[in-house]
Amino acid sequence: MNERLLGILVNSFPRLLLYLFKVTIPLTVSIFTISVILAFILALIQVLDIRVLKTLTRIYVWVFRGTPLIVQMYIIFYGLPSLGISLNAFPSAVIAFSMNYAAYMSETIRAAIQSVPQGQIEAGYMIGLTYGQIMRRIVIPQAARVAFPTMFGSLIGLTKDSSLAASITVVEMFKTAQQIASKYFEPFALYCEAAVIYLMLNTVLTLLQAFLERKLTWKQPKEESEKIPALQADTE
Amino acid sequence: MLEVKNLYCSYGSMEVLKNVDFKVDNGEVVAVIGSSGSGKTTLLRCLSFLNKANSGTIIFDDFKKDITRLKKNDIMKLRSKMGYVFQDFNLFRNMTVRQNILEGLVTARKMDPTEAWKIVNEMLEKVGMSHRAEYYPAQLSGGQQQRAAIARALAYNPEIILFDEPTSALDPELTREVLAVMKRLAKEGTTMVVVTHEMSFAQEVAGRVIFMENGVVVEEGRSSEFFTSPKEESTRRFLRLSMQEQDYVI
Repeated sequence: MNERLLGILVNSFPRLLLYLFKVTIPLTVSIFTISVILAFILALIQVLDIRVLKTLTRIYVWVFRGTPLIVQMYIIFYGLPSLGISLNAFPSAVIAFSMNYAAYMSETIRAAIQSVPQGQIEAGYMIGLTYGQIMRRIVIPQAARVAFPTMFGSLIGLTKDSSLAASITVVEMFKTAQQIASKYFEPFALYCEAAVIYLMLNTVLTLLQAFLERKLTWKQPKEESEKIPALQADTE
Repeated sequence: MLEVKNLYCSYGSMEVLKNVDFKVDNGEVVAVIGSSGSGKTTLLRCLSFLNKANSGTIIFDDFKKDITRLKKNDIMKLRSKMGYVFQDFNLFRNMTVRQNILEGLVTARKMDPTEAWKIVNEMLEKVGMSHRAEYYPAQLSGGQQQRAAIARALAYNPEIILFDEPTSALDPELTREVLAVMKRLAKEGTTMVVVTHEMSFAQEVAGRVIFMENGVVVEEGRSSEFFTSPKEESTRRFLRLSMQEQDYVI
């Protein structure tokens, strides 16, 4: 590798990292937070079967899953000003992404809630819990465990998809790489560098996922020496 | 103590219970037997309002009401006097055995946690599960899970415990340990209704046996007489088949 190219890569690295931490990660975190909350509300409306709201929710999911994210972003950023609503690029991206991701995630959460066996709910009723208590203490914790891997997958997807925000002028890490690339006419090197940084970020996230999943299992390490005591209830 | 009259329940056009009368007295152990699809589980589920009955009257001590007209509050109040043990245990999977038992005391009944803790220890002792208090259901054998589930149902001191085929999901060895716990409860005078396929348990432990077929109670009687001199032909046929089966196992 020639010295000039190496110099460009080394010098651009801190700049890309800066935009990773300054824009890409905040963008990802705000979208993820908002879409999880929104998705949870959408899922709950469907599970609780609130009549009118449920229909609206189905329409919402239908529309936002059925149209491309980039089109949604363009409508919000370039289209809405003609209706008198002008938003900056960053909030436009956050809104479009959140609404789109919430549509997908609500399905994940709904399926997870519905995967909790009916018997768990019946047992809750029989020991005297109210429906709200059953949801809070039994159904949602169990559903969270089921939804976790898929939701975390969405988070990983989001770190990468957030580069789409570049198309509506959000200067995040990828856009920064683009700018440097065109300044030095080194697209191959710069885009590869950006790719490596995304990969580094997601390696950390993947390790974090594995760690959290271990923490989330409803199991405690069994001691080797312990065995099931044979018929100990029989000793009368 | 607990009584239903004219209990009728259907799923669509299928009649599962056809005007069943059923009564349990205080301190009694009643076994409900019959082949699969005879309606015995549905009877138990209607008694605990897990299934909606189409008509009937429920009487619990001095409470008496049309079973289809119960308010949410009535159901909560009646259920708080019942324990229910499920065929497939239904321990809360996200909680340890201890938390499972605490739940009915602290969350549902707002009991003081220190006091509840004491009760939990007592219950665990009773079913021989003290050494597994901090385990999650997935780490336990079926028999242990069912014993924990019994402890959970016992903890809030219900007036009656309903058992829905409590050993049907267990192998003979695990069945033995669960039945041993149930025998002890019966000896202590716990009021119990047990839907079961365990004929020897019904014979030994139950004071009264009820035989159901096609949604009706065909015969009932003191267990001492029921097994030795059944009156109805269908009862005799059922007992003959069930007893034969047990011979095969041995």
